[in-house]
Amino acid sequence: MTEDILQVRGLSTRFFTQEGQVNAVSDLDLTIERGEVFGIVGESGSGKSVTARSIMDLIEPPGEITEGEIRYRNADFAETVGDDHPGAVDGEFVNLLELPPAIRQSLRGTSFSMIFQDPESSFNPTLTVGEQLAEAVEVQRRASARPRSTRARTESEEYSLGSLMLSTVLPSKKYVSDESRERAIELLELVGIPDPVERADEYPHEYSGGMLQRAMIAQALAGEPDILVADEPTTALDVTIQAQVLDLLDDLQKETGMTILLITHNLGVIARMCDRVGVMYAGEIVERGSLTDTFDEHVHPYTEGLLGSVPDLEGANRRLQPIPGNVPTLLDHEMEDRCHFADRCPKAMEDCLDHPPEFDADERGDHEVRCVLAERDYDEGRALPPDYFDETERTAADKHADPDRTEEDVQPERTQSPVEDSGGGGL
Amino acid sequence: MTMGKFLVRRILQGVFVIWGVITIMFGLRAVSPGDPATLMLGEGATQELIEHVREQEGLNEPIYVQYFDYLQGMVIGDFGYSWRSNRQVEAMVIERVPATLELAIAATIVAIVIAIPLGVISATRRNEPSDYGATLFSLLGISTPNFWLGLMLILLLGVWAGLFPTGRRPVGFAEAVTTLVQHGSVYDLGIWLKYITLPAITLGTYFTALITRLTRSGMVDELGKPYVTASKAKGLPSVLVRYKHVLRNTMIPIITVLGLQMGTLMGGAVITETVFNWPGLGLRLIDALDARDWPLMQGIVVFIAIAFVSINIVVDALYSYLNPQVREE
Amino acid sequence: MISERVKSNLKQTFSESLLPKLGLLLLVSIVFMAIFAPLLATHDPTRTGHYDEQGAEYPPLGHEYTTQTPHEGDIVEITVEPTTEHVLGTNNVGQDVYSRFLYGARVSLLVGILGTSMALAIGVPVGLVAGYYGGRVDDGLMRIADTMLAFPALVLALALIGVFGESPVMVPDPIVMAGLADGMPESIPIPGTVTIVVALVTWVWFARVARGEALSIRNEEYVKAARSFGTSNKTILLKHVLPNSLTPIIVLATIQVAVIILLEASLAYLGFSGTTLSWGYEIERGQDVLRTRPWVSMFPGIGIVLAVISVNLLGDWFRDALDPNIEGEGR
Repeated sequence: MTEDILQVRGLSTRFFTQEGQVNAVSDLDLTIERGEVFGIVGESGSGKSVTARSIMDLIEPPGEITEGEIRYRNADFAETVGDDHPGAVDGEFVNLLELPPAIRQSLRGTSFSMIFQDPESSFNPTLTVGEQLAEAVEVQRRASARPRSTRARTESEEYSLGSLMLSTVLPSKKYVSDESRERAIELLELVGIPDPVERADEYPHEYSGGMLQRAMIAQALAGEPDILVADEPTTALDVTIQAQVLDLLDDLQKETGMTILLITHNLGVIARMCDRVGVMYAGEIVERGSLTDTFDEHVHPYTEGLLGSVPDLEGANRRLQPIPGNVPTLLDHEMEDRCHFADRCPKAMEDCLDHPPEFDADERGDHEVRCVLAERDYDEGRALPPDYFDETERTAADKHADPDRTEEDVQPERTQSPVEDSGGGGL
Repeated sequence: MTMGKFLVRRILQGVFVIWGVITIMFGLRAVSPGDPATLMLGEGATQELIEHVREQEGLNEPIYVQYFDYLQGMVIGDFGYSWRSNRQVEAMVIERVPATLELAIAATIVAIVIAIPLGVISATRRNEPSDYGATLFSLLGISTPNFWLGLMLILLLGVWAGLFPTGRRPVGFAEAVTTLVQHGSVYDLGIWLKYITLPAITLGTYFTALITRLTRSGMVDELGKPYVTASKAKGLPSVLVRYKHVLRNTMIPIITVLGLQMGTLMGGAVITETVFNWPGLGLRLIDALDARDWPLMQGIVVFIAIAFVSINIVVDALYSYLNPQVREE
Repeated sequence: MISERVKSNLKQTFSESLLPKLGLLLLVSIVFMAIFAPLLATHDPTRTGHYDEQGAEYPPLGHEYTTQTPHEGDIVEITVEPTTEHVLGTNNVGQDVYSRFLYGARVSLLVGILGTSMALAIGVPVGLVAGYYGGRVDDGLMRIADTMLAFPALVLALALIGVFGESPVMVPDPIVMAGLADGMPESIPIPGTVTIVVALVTWVWFARVARGEALSIRNEEYVKAARSFGTSNKTILLKHVLPNSLTPIIVLATIQVAVIILLEASLAYLGFSGTTLSWGYEIERGQDVLRTRPWVSMFPGIGIVLAVISVNLLGDWFRDALDPNIEGEGR
């Protein structure tokens, strides 16, 4: 009997940039069952990564989660936080967005863990891999040393700046204990890194990309998390290495029974790994359901477009097929209240000028589609003329033709300059 | 490349640089107007005496002989005699080093103690009032000439507020420590501290401002890197992410910049010593320049060059120690 | 060379933040002051002897001070009132502080701009050649640059001035020549050696930056392509490497104007500039009377700070706007 471990309801994440408000994720619903692999697929700029980061509480200014609930099922945790935050608890579920940041931080590593697209830049280049893994172990070790006391977990005096400075001189004050270092080596071994004792003392640049991704998986497993969020875990890797890393994830998932939220734009990876899938477009999930629902019985023309010219999914590492037209900008003032895919949709009708709700596609209750075609058949008589969106599309593309930035580039400002680095002469 | 090889190569480069400085200084002296013997003896010396001195000092030898004599002297640590006071240049340099060193160290401490926290606050609370304050301070700091700042400090804190003395200091650090050890009295140390405060602020302000700017921009840059998000994702407390990871990585390139800025620090020391009549190398250099006392001038410049080069070798070694990617190359 | 994207970046950064506006406003005012100094000045800045009746200097408006002066064989204490004739008072040789403030801007800006142009003219070619050719050429040139760096700029400048003297250059003033400002000096002295020396001690920074750019550009595909067509190295340097390395050089040049203004002020303060019509020199002159007549040092110092801040603000603006990796917001 499966149960829901995570329910996301009406999640909206916005970025307040100088160009305007970017609706990176809008009114998003998804449900993940314990022990399954749930995939989110979509083009870049569709809001996949922002969804993952919202769940992990890693959204930083100018981004902000503006609406919604993220309900996480953990009976022990619900009991612990219930006293201080009764409003957040609903039975075994806790709405994470109702909790203060300190408690959400304490869940990272222990309940939720994440692996990232680019292993090389996701490790600190100046510390050894072993040290960084040991840090992750230490977080978990300290958390379980004071079980069920969220306050102690977050307000520990051991995290203070003073002790941090002391730790540079006094070995006993070091954050990471020897036990954690040993556990880090075990973890490296677990993910199949040869000579883990020696490799633990090496720096990230001494690892190959695939090895480093294994190390990152080991790091994510350090806290034995309930849910592992994998954001494009194989995108930066060679094809042969990709398969090995997927095998590893597969094995670890079977071994530990953990839940994986897998984010990718690679349909082959989805087909190979996932039990259920959500297809994202313009910050929304436009179709979700089981692998069969989405791959074979899809309703949404966007899903159709994604899969359209992929002849054989099995055994192939298929990238998304390009669909004519531009990915929408996601800028609030340029988004109209219509189906966001209508301008690229071959089956756009007059009905599509109203923003569609989620329809139940097959009356079994777990295949949802944000498309009017779920309700009625395509009617050429109501079709929009092919040049209907030309005008609006052009202005949108001119103003802001860089949808990628909503995913990766909305990051703190960078003011480092090569010029200032080189000094500037002086007296 | 191993650390040893790296150091040997850097030291050889350093020796080359110092040789260059010596040669340039010798060349400048050779083309500078004025007969050395006349400069040595002052106006009104008899022709015979001048001729005698020329002969004695080897000034009648061909220029390349003079050059090699000079170079030879430098190698064995013989910097020659001052034309004005007829004292050994080495001694005149060495006796002034402590005062300058005290000043430079005090200024560096002022700079680091203020600048790094300020830069961190500025970078982590971007676009908040504290960030604007730090930005304004650092803008003023890099734009204010230190001699004027020194004078204004003397005027405001010395003369008007009467908080600090403004004359030439009566005791150096060594004497103050001697008093402490021999008589158990901190009185001299207090005096020393009072006298060094304003010069240290004067010299330190530019560096405080510079390091604040570098720390802020470096940290903002570093905070945007994926490993910071990854560290948060594994549950690391933000204090640890900020200081163990981000600040450390921010400081690594800044160390190199500071090494290069040592020249600015030395130049700033010359000015600060002039403003405060501080008995250091810089003041002696200005005196030597005014008097066209070439051996002394050369001695001081070469000494500063040696100090600069040595500091930068240490900085490079530190940099490659802290940055594993460089260390392995 | 200056693409549309660069222009729009500059515009955007400018409109988003207060600081570039402030910098530009300040700089325009100072340039205006410098150019029209003869028209704005109330007195010939070099004419001495505007003492009050009792032989003391005037304080700035809104400030009075007491000083001691000989009177009928005794030393008496007198109080000196300000006069509207000298709005910022007079200095210790009786010259008008306000007029000297205006003329000081001329010297500072001229040395700053001329010195930077010369440093550019030396440093950029050296750096580009070193970076583009690499190997021994690079090693040799960079060792020279290292040697230059081992001299503190100020110390090297002092040594060079010691050798070459101060050689002030008299520059005729077009406004006075045209007869628009009677009673103002017909030419003003620009410190000749100082201008050359500041270029000689700062070109290294341009060389370092240009070298770094050339090093990365020479490996770009379009340079490799040009080379494979048989384009000469000289053409590649001028047509590809130089235009593409301009951005950081422009940013550096702006910063260097500020550095050079400070350097000139320091040299003038130490008395090595050869011209007395300089903010730095004026501060030195005020040092002797700091306790009684602080305004003599105070106003020229404010002039330096404002000029340097305005240039630095401009430099920050360029840096924020031109660095493609920067999302400029605020400072």
